[in-house]
Amino acid sequence: MANLSLKHIYKVYPNGAKAVNDFNMQIEDKEFIVFVGPSGCGKSTTLRMIAGLEEITAGELKIGDMVVNGMEPKDRDIAMVFQNYALYPHMTIFENIAFGLRMRKIPDIKRDKAGNPVLDKNGKEIPVMRHYNKQELTAKVTEAAEILGITEYLKRKPKEMSGGQRQRVALGRAIVRRPKVMLLDEPLSNLDAKLRTQMRSEIVKLHKKLQTTFIYVTHDQVEAMTMGTRIVVMKDGFVKQIDTPKNLYRYPANKFVAGFIGTPQMNFFQGTLTKDGDSVHIAFKRSDAKVTVPYSMLMKTMPQYLDGTKTVYIGFRAEDIALEEDKVAASNAKIKVRISHSEELGTETLVYGDINMDGDGFDETSTRVIIKSAGFKEYQSDTVCEAALNIEGIHLFDIDTEESIMPRLPEYNYADCKVSAGKLAILGQSIALPSAVNCSDGEYDLLLPTDAVTFDGDIPAEITSTEDINGKLLITLSVNGKKLFAVTDCSADGEKISVADGKIKIGIDMKKIIIRKNSEDVISPMPLVNGLNGTFVMEKLPEMTVVNGKEKKVKKAHYYLLIDGTKLEAPAEVYNKLFAATSDRKAFNSAYRYEWTPYDFAVSGDGIRAQVEETLDYGAEKFVRCTVGEEVIYVKTDKRLSGTVHLVPDVSKVSIIESERQIRIL
Amino acid sequence: MNQAKVKVAKAKTKKVLNVLITYCILIVVAFIFFFPCLWLILASFSKSGSIYSFDGFFPVEYGFDSFKTLFTDTVMYNYPQWFLNTLFIASMSCILGTILTILTAYCMSRFRFKSRKAMMKTTLVLGMFPSFMGTIAVYLIMTQFNLINQHWGLILIYSAQAPMGYMVQKGFFDTIPYSIDEAARIDGASNFTVFVKFTLPMAKPMLVYTALTAFTWPWSDFILPKMLLVDRDLYTVAVGLMSLGETEFARFAAGSIFIAIPIIVLYFCLVKYMINGMAAGAVKE
Repeated sequence: MANLSLKHIYKVYPNGAKAVNDFNMQIEDKEFIVFVGPSGCGKSTTLRMIAGLEEITAGELKIGDMVVNGMEPKDRDIAMVFQNYALYPHMTIFENIAFGLRMRKIPDIKRDKAGNPVLDKNGKEIPVMRHYNKQELTAKVTEAAEILGITEYLKRKPKEMSGGQRQRVALGRAIVRRPKVMLLDEPLSNLDAKLRTQMRSEIVKLHKKLQTTFIYVTHDQVEAMTMGTRIVVMKDGFVKQIDTPKNLYRYPANKFVAGFIGTPQMNFFQGTLTKDGDSVHIAFKRSDAKVTVPYSMLMKTMPQYLDGTKTVYIGFRAEDIALEEDKVAASNAKIKVRISHSEELGTETLVYGDINMDGDGFDETSTRVIIKSAGFKEYQSDTVCEAALNIEGIHLFDIDTEESIMPRLPEYNYADCKVSAGKLAILGQSIALPSAVNCSDGEYDLLLPTDAVTFDGDIPAEITSTEDINGKLLITLSVNGKKLFAVTDCSADGEKISVADGKIKIGIDMKKIIIRKNSEDVISPMPLVNGLNGTFVMEKLPEMTVVNGKEKKVKKAHYYLLIDGTKLEAPAEVYNKLFAATSDRKAFNSAYRYEWTPYDFAVSGDGIRAQVEETLDYGAEKFVRCTVGEEVIYVKTDKRLSGTVHLVPDVSKVSIIESERQIRIL
Repeated sequence: MNQAKVKVAKAKTKKVLNVLITYCILIVVAFIFFFPCLWLILASFSKSGSIYSFDGFFPVEYGFDSFKTLFTDTVMYNYPQWFLNTLFIASMSCILGTILTILTAYCMSRFRFKSRKAMMKTTLVLGMFPSFMGTIAVYLIMTQFNLINQHWGLILIYSAQAPMGYMVQKGFFDTIPYSIDEAARIDGASNFTVFVKFTLPMAKPMLVYTALTAFTWPWSDFILPKMLLVDRDLYTVAVGLMSLGETEFARFAAGSIFIAIPIIVLYFCLVKYMINGMAAGAVKE
């Protein structure tokens, strides 16, 4: 019955090992969140940090509206189910379930022995805190036991029960208090397969019944897919992707998620993509297989991968490859597969093969292929047949970063452009370049970030489609017959766009564009993050305060960010978080990187000394590039500035990174 | 057919032979262990009392005289008083020592604090030195505290030294899953509640073991009471028996046998707790 907010959560062990890295998530009320990943990926650590069993190194954890970082587990109003049940062995099941209630007090009013309220002098009831009485305890425990079907075992001890029953008791112990958040740490991994399936559906049922936020940790992707409303896939302490089961399956953001979710595992091949007019040739490595597909199906692919020089991972799920004759006959994308063996699973048959005619189909190589086929079909070993690829189901990943190269939310639009006489010719339009974009005439590649497309310009465009992707709106526009992606927050521009009746006028935010020639940036975007190195200091200053009606001199601690010799007083919310993240005293011994956007600076008489280097005029907005010591920062300004200026950043808007451990504190 | 029968017969004789040899070895070993005990019992029933009047190894005449004098002749050697002294010291040290040992072990097992490792290593190394190495120092300290010739002085020393051997108890606490503590903490229990309501009930066998060891050491210790106790009436049994005259050997033997009785009784009372592990069924093994 509460939402959770995790902001920049880190877990760093004293030896420097980072178990959890910059975990950010908003969990809504009544959600069923599953943390999934291989062992050692930090999923249990994150859960234990939410429970309060593990200290949070840095970051902010909110349950409901309360920051609970330093709170004891018992005060967080959470319940947890452990993998090994963790029942109290010397207590009966009843006592096991009732213990949490016995430890708690409930508000009541003062009563006499007969149970009548005792009134104070003014005739009002006196509020008191009291323990649950016997009837209340019995009622609550029985209710929980009934939900889980363990009423007849209440008098037994844990050792007299089977594994499934014990896990039910553990669940009962958790639900009896009606906590705000239920945390489950691999609760089913100690049960046998049949019981696990049964308990799985019971936990889902329980979630529906209790209407509470559930957070469930598992290493089993099947559990994750079947139970979660949203899934967090983690690896090596990093969140790899957060999305609904359906979206994880259909739009994996990286190769790890693609391979982790779904059985059998996705087939990964290596190959190159070559764009040739309106079609793209896909050539598979270590195989003769080649297919040609229309470019419209690979629209979102980043164009730098389409020149045929870069090797990429090509992923197809087993069900996106077909061996059935009718499908093969109808398909335009066919590859030859040498079948090695098959596994009959009843309703379906998994056919193992290789797209390399010398491959054996057993080892996990870049040419091995698993194909899902209809049940009870027999395939002869060592025969070569044709398989049809379903190009709609293609997944492409970078060979080094393993990130998807056709993301759901494309980052950039790629176009060829021409600059002549201070005008930029793109999309059949000629746009005047602001003086800050200083580019000699010629032909270039233009990288237009999808969020640089604004909706207040004068370029006429047509909306072909819109797609809501996790709170962001992907708008596919058509400008003079050319396709253009724009991304905006659903809340910000969403309404304006939906009522636009298909026609809209767009503009381009020139400070975000990148102009390239021969893979080298001619024009870089203006950085929106200005980093300055500094430290954190305290100073005690005498102050007059009134104590017991008398004026008194007391020393009060003031905290400052120290940057390049300039002290900036930190407000309470900033220094409190710094202290929380650095375990107090270390706060003064660490180096930090303070970051502001160009909009957070004011020019003032005193402040950080900066040398103005250049004024950047982007038309509507003007910026100056300054140097502070050796750092370069950009500042938005309306005035014309030159020489030495003093800059005062808005301290309440700072984001802080601890330099040594690379932890984002704010 | 015949061959099979021969084989079976051969196997049978082999088995019998095996059992025979095993029993022979066991009897010899048992005799070696039991003989000194038996000899002491026989000696305590010696009528003459002096070891010099033994006929070779064994007493000549037997009788209950030594037991009788042990309890009746209390002018010079007040055995009943010594017995009560020892009982008092041992019981008090047992209670205090057990509490301290269990707390130390729990603390070392469950809490992570600075210098924990260093403290564990130090105690381990210190525990390797025999305790009488520090007797002079202990004596000086006790004179400073004015605890010479007082039972409480001994009790304090015994209780303070007991936690040095916390390693066994810590090992036991380590086997109690952390998740039980964590579950209890989430349920609302404080550290103290966790300790009292969960760890202690689950650690009953360890508690019994700790109490037994904490009891037997002061019960049979000689060096410390010999050094710290001056008055004859404050003696423990061990010191008192040592002060017996040379001709009182039978009385010495009778006294030694008599102090073994409480330990034996204690052991038989507590043994059932030591055998049953309590943690069964708590977690999936």
